[in-house]
Amino acid sequence: MRPVVLLLVLPIMLWSQPEFYGYFESEADVMQVGGRSYYFGYNKMRLDVEARPSDNVLIGANINIQQYWGQTTWNLLDFLPVDIWQPIFQPEFVPDSLWVREMSYTISDTLLLDNIYMRVSFPFIDLTLGRQQVSPGVGYAWNPTDIFNTKTLLDPSYEQTGISALRAELPITSRTTASAVLQPEDSWEMSTKQVFLKTGLGSFDFELTAAQFRWERSFLTPLALQVRETQRTLVGGSFVGELFEWGLWAEGAYNELEGAEDFLEVIFGTDHTFDNSVYLLLELLHNENGIAQQGDLTFDAFLQSLGGETHSLMQDYAFVYLMHQTFDYVSLSAIAIANLNDQSGTFGPQLDWNVFEDTNLSFQSSFSWGDDDTEFGLQDWGFRIRILSNF
Amino acid sequence: MKVKLFLILLFGLSFAQAQDQLAVKIIKAVTELMSPENMKSTGTQTITTSSGRSRTFEFESYMGGKGKSTLTRYTKPAAIRGQAFLTLNNADDIWTYFPRTKRVRKLASHAKKQKVQGSDFTYEDMGGGDVFMTKFTPKYQGDETINGDLCWKIDLIGILDQDPPYPKIILWARKSDYSPVKLDYYDDNNFNAKTLSLSDIQNIEGTPTAMKMLMVDHQERSSTSMETLEATYKWVPPKNFFSERSLKK
Repeated sequence: MRPVVLLLVLPIMLWSQPEFYGYFESEADVMQVGGRSYYFGYNKMRLDVEARPSDNVLIGANINIQQYWGQTTWNLLDFLPVDIWQPIFQPEFVPDSLWVREMSYTISDTLLLDNIYMRVSFPFIDLTLGRQQVSPGVGYAWNPTDIFNTKTLLDPSYEQTGISALRAELPITSRTTASAVLQPEDSWEMSTKQVFLKTGLGSFDFELTAAQFRWERSFLTPLALQVRETQRTLVGGSFVGELFEWGLWAEGAYNELEGAEDFLEVIFGTDHTFDNSVYLLLELLHNENGIAQQGDLTFDAFLQSLGGETHSLMQDYAFVYLMHQTFDYVSLSAIAIANLNDQSGTFGPQLDWNVFEDTNLSFQSSFSWGDDDTEFGLQDWGFRIRILSNF
Repeated sequence: MKVKLFLILLFGLSFAQAQDQLAVKIIKAVTELMSPENMKSTGTQTITTSSGRSRTFEFESYMGGKGKSTLTRYTKPAAIRGQAFLTLNNADDIWTYFPRTKRVRKLASHAKKQKVQGSDFTYEDMGGGDVFMTKFTPKYQGDETINGDLCWKIDLIGILDQDPPYPKIILWARKSDYSPVKLDYYDDNNFNAKTLSLSDIQNIEGTPTAMKMLMVDHQERSSTSMETLEATYKWVPPKNFFSERSLKK
């Protein structure tokens, strides 16, 4: 679909006096895992272009250029507990000299046409065609109804990559909207389909959703890394509202799988701003697709979790976010993520400084706790500096 | 003697009643002026912190239903371009839109008291509607001259069970056209926490309109000035304009 969209969109865009904007972002990281230090980072430029040939048509596109430095080839095994990978990569019957202790992954510099779409607004419907960002759900850290994106827990509000889709949004009343997303593939059966019905009642918003798609998961076989597809049907919903001045939300999905066990994934969240201006957000996740007992963890479960194919490695998690605007243009915040099943977690304090009108500098660190054979326990600490300048 | 005392009391009560009726009449007229049926405007917002540093934003703003619904979208600077917020039911319901994540978030009522983009205006301050009439009891406090204009001075005392945004507000409105020119906002400790001054009042399409507003936060020693660049009351919102659909556009 992409070449067709390009041919259609680019000439109109150039003809209708487009606006250009974007940002430059540079990040430097140091991380200690299993007693070993890693230095890495990237420079990224995002260039957005937006054109409005008429009041009812919007054309948007953005290109991301990202150049990595420092460590760019990673050994996945360095980030997994030894007990998980040793039985596969160092079986007892293989002599020491033949041991393979590496499963490497290289990150390459990218020049990515991230989004390119056209939105046409009719009085009764909005149609968006092309590669676009689709971000369903009300959860902050996790979105059980989001089948398109993977969030980074230490930075859940980072922008998501676009998907090639056709989206239709049908406003029914001022607070009721029906919408549908179709991500076309080779056939209707292979295509991803999701529908939504959103409405509001009093101070609450409610949403129902249903989706059907081919779910890809990675498995390591004795011969190679394999990707297997399963037909997945999702039925879910969410609400967001408040009780006694505390924001409340929940989002859940029941997932029916072809030839595998069905599972439920649900989050509950709450937030509040105290009189001293401290903002607190708490979110809990229960994901039946995750592993319940630490002893049942497998290499494949780690592989799928690290690759973003599943929303979590294990079943139960807590996410806490605290923020305070401490000085003029300076805010202090902290994120804590806890795996409630293996008692491990990570704590990440952060300082954000709006140095100039369009420039932000942030310092973030992370400190992990838990045993070495737990999800977060293997990681020791990390430190990140990020500068972002909008133009 | 008893008759004299009765007459004095009766006169006093009648006078107080007349004063209260005058206060209600003034606040009704001020509310009608501040909450036109519809309005569309563009403007700038400059935040000056206690250290003297300032940031300027540009925005477009839409108001409907006599101020019960508002939609504000920032157009500059680049860092917040496209960020928008929608308030319905006199800011009882607030939604914000972040273009970077393409997500709409519904804010709980605790957020009403949060600063909009770090300014000295809260979401509640930005909402309009008939809040002065429904959540406050007005008391006429006499006449005063503000910046050369003869004004009515009205105390607005918050009605506790109506969840007023402030316990008390003192408002000065011009006698010539009911235009408010100054508002003092008081906190729970009866401290004058913020002052809003309205100036450069121009007649736009028959409606006196304050083209400049300055909110001073006396506690944080910061201020936010808002300047209206263009405004029209002739704009008519399309059906279901005040919705998430418009927020994301």
